[in-house]
Amino acid sequence: MVRIVDLTAHSGIYASRLMVESGHDVIRVEPPQGDAVRRLGPYLGGTPNLELGAFHLFLNAGKRSLTLNLDASPGRDIFLALVKTADAVVANVPLPLTLEEIAQANEKLAVVGVEDDAGPELCAYARSGLLAITGHPGKRPALLGGHIVYAATGLYVAVAMSAALYGRQRSGHGQIVKVSIRQCLETLAEQSMIAYAAEGKITQRRGYRGAITAVSGAFPTSDGYWMASMPTTPGRWAEFMKWVQDPVLMADKSLEDEAERLVKRDFILDRLEAWSRQFPKEQMVEEAQRRHIPGTPVAVPLDLAQDPQLWARGFFEEKEHEEAGRPVLSPRGAIGVVLGTSLRPAPKRGQHNAEILRELGFSEVEHRALVESGAV
Amino acid sequence: MTSAKDSPAGQKGQPSQTESESPQLTGIRILDFSHILAGPFCTRLLADLGAEVLKVETDTRPERMGATRIDPASKRRQDRPPSFLNINRNKRSITINLKTEGGRALATQLATKADIVVENFSAEVMKRLGLAYEHLQPLNPRLIYVSMSGFGHNGPRKDWTSMNMSLQAYTGLMMVTGAEGDLPTAISNSWNDYIGGLHACHAVLQALAERERTGTGRNLDLAQFECSVATIAPLVIASAFNGEVPPRQGSRSTHAAPQGCYQCAGKDDWCAISVENDGQWKALVSRMGSPAWANEGRFSSLAGRIRHHDELDRNLEAWTRQFTPLEIENRLKPAGIACERMRRMNEIVGAPDAGNVYRWMEDPPSRTLATGLPFEFSTSTVAPLSPAPRVGEHTKAALEEWLGLSAAKIAELAATGALE
Repeated sequence: MVRIVDLTAHSGIYASRLMVESGHDVIRVEPPQGDAVRRLGPYLGGTPNLELGAFHLFLNAGKRSLTLNLDASPGRDIFLALVKTADAVVANVPLPLTLEEIAQANEKLAVVGVEDDAGPELCAYARSGLLAITGHPGKRPALLGGHIVYAATGLYVAVAMSAALYGRQRSGHGQIVKVSIRQCLETLAEQSMIAYAAEGKITQRRGYRGAITAVSGAFPTSDGYWMASMPTTPGRWAEFMKWVQDPVLMADKSLEDEAERLVKRDFILDRLEAWSRQFPKEQMVEEAQRRHIPGTPVAVPLDLAQDPQLWARGFFEEKEHEEAGRPVLSPRGAIGVVLGTSLRPAPKRGQHNAEILRELGFSEVEHRALVESGAV
Repeated sequence: MTSAKDSPAGQKGQPSQTESESPQLTGIRILDFSHILAGPFCTRLLADLGAEVLKVETDTRPERMGATRIDPASKRRQDRPPSFLNINRNKRSITINLKTEGGRALATQLATKADIVVENFSAEVMKRLGLAYEHLQPLNPRLIYVSMSGFGHNGPRKDWTSMNMSLQAYTGLMMVTGAEGDLPTAISNSWNDYIGGLHACHAVLQALAERERTGTGRNLDLAQFECSVATIAPLVIASAFNGEVPPRQGSRSTHAAPQGCYQCAGKDDWCAISVENDGQWKALVSRMGSPAWANEGRFSSLAGRIRHHDELDRNLEAWTRQFTPLEIENRLKPAGIACERMRRMNEIVGAPDAGNVYRWMEDPPSRTLATGLPFEFSTSTVAPLSPAPRVGEHTKAALEEWLGLSAAKIAELAATGALE
């Protein structure tokens, strides 16, 4: 178990959540008025509450909270004292202290600085090439919802931090890592880059139809949508046709080749939609899976809260929550579920101030003085 | 480039910026059974961090990775599709026929010498091959075994097949993206493979660190479904508690208005604008020439702009439609307003103001544009870019280096068909 001091903003914070899932002690340092992630809705219960924001509840689960004013001493001094006890610091920059000042406080520290070098989320998304491939053909492009993009950037931060921590075990000393949000987003657009660099092609928005392989898309059913994504390995098309039994598609033997299917994909998908409309989505999905075709429901978040596979895997727990007044769903997360981690609820603002200041050697009298001066 | 042996280990304080060290995963061996994208993307990250990745392939079914037609007239490398050249650079290739007993025995021997095994088959495949964790762990207790199946190795849907698009649907991405009333909205790339690969890479690095302390490895049974659901977990928590799904936001924000994608002059050109405070709003109004509509009281506060966002968008878009995206950027950026044109790859590849994560790599007979790492260490270096292997290119070398097999022994194996 290592100690991580966490000052990330939204574009980096999933990294520190992943460190909690991996079993580490993460101390989130927030301004006395609470951090920005607490102010993101939706809120449990529907009204803004710094303890009930859904993003705060997930991203800060299992952490300890220390409120500090870093703009001046003694807040800065307490921060540096804390840093001396830590193994890593992860923060979005700029901070009132530089990464070098933080590194100087502790030679063994892995210091991870996240640079939001492409502006706010939507603008960074537009600049990266990702906006150009999200949405429906010819219609308004869209940002991925739910701030999914910041989970992706947080993943890169986690990788950078974990690499630095592992390297530290082998070398005995720390270092500074700088993560560029702009570059993180561009790496996620690399498939568009490959199509352009290798073949001069500009990847288009394709809605949900035939984005990578020809026969993939959300097909309307009698009661909603299901998704089918037919693999391109040889022979799969013939098997698929055994199910669909479409005489027009079966008569065209050239369609056994994926390259040909890509050329004729709109025609193929139109015919498949007409076929699919006849049946309910559960039936389509069950039958598809029986035939080893990747069919799935098109889910909304509420569906996922009840998903049988997630519950069977232990992905969800339910935790009592004082402020919420009734139990709250507590996902273990993709890493936590594998390691069996159970996460404490996200901390209240400054919940662990007394405990942490005591660990650092401050008396109760000193603690009160710090609170009064606005340092904590 | 200095190696770990050259750098002054054990000195006090952080090394100066002129000293550099070999990548963190130098000497780590990965036996990589994964294919297509999620697993190979994970192992590419690990290769960049210095690991030796030995990719297990077979001559009997070489990985095609997409249906790109080979162009005989092209001067580019032709033995692999372009996506393979990018995803599998910095790796070695060994051909093993896992359908033969000799092949499976060889794979087992290699696994006893590996630090990490990576696979992304469906739940039962490695078991059937005798290459699951339960088979390998007794032979190599330090082994870190990473599985990246669609749904994990247990549960009622563990045998479901999945691909990117079906996961985009099933993990909720399509129904949280777009505005209320829109059709399911997807992204035209293999988004979930990247999310899964990144989670796996983090899990591996954590397991390596843990192994330094405990001396033992781990079985990491990751599910790509769970990796992607985790990225919208906040909305799942809120939905469960409130009993309803939060409304789809489109490209809007609760902390900035106007925010959105606005159509510009041209057939399919757009810009993204995000006005975060009243000062930026006033600057935008001024840059638009102070039209009467923009000076009305209801738009002067953030709360008001959010409440009247539809009307605000209509008026703003009537203005943006007159200009190209670049003209909009040139008008708004100098005034301190966050604005970016929707770039396509032709405005990123080779652009002087792009992020510079795409780097050219010699790839005889030509070159490949490779994706680098989006972060930089102050002392650790990363592996230099090197081309993806030809099929089976390192079979002989790997068998010599990992198992100490003689040329005669290798020829013997080849004769049995184990190395196809």
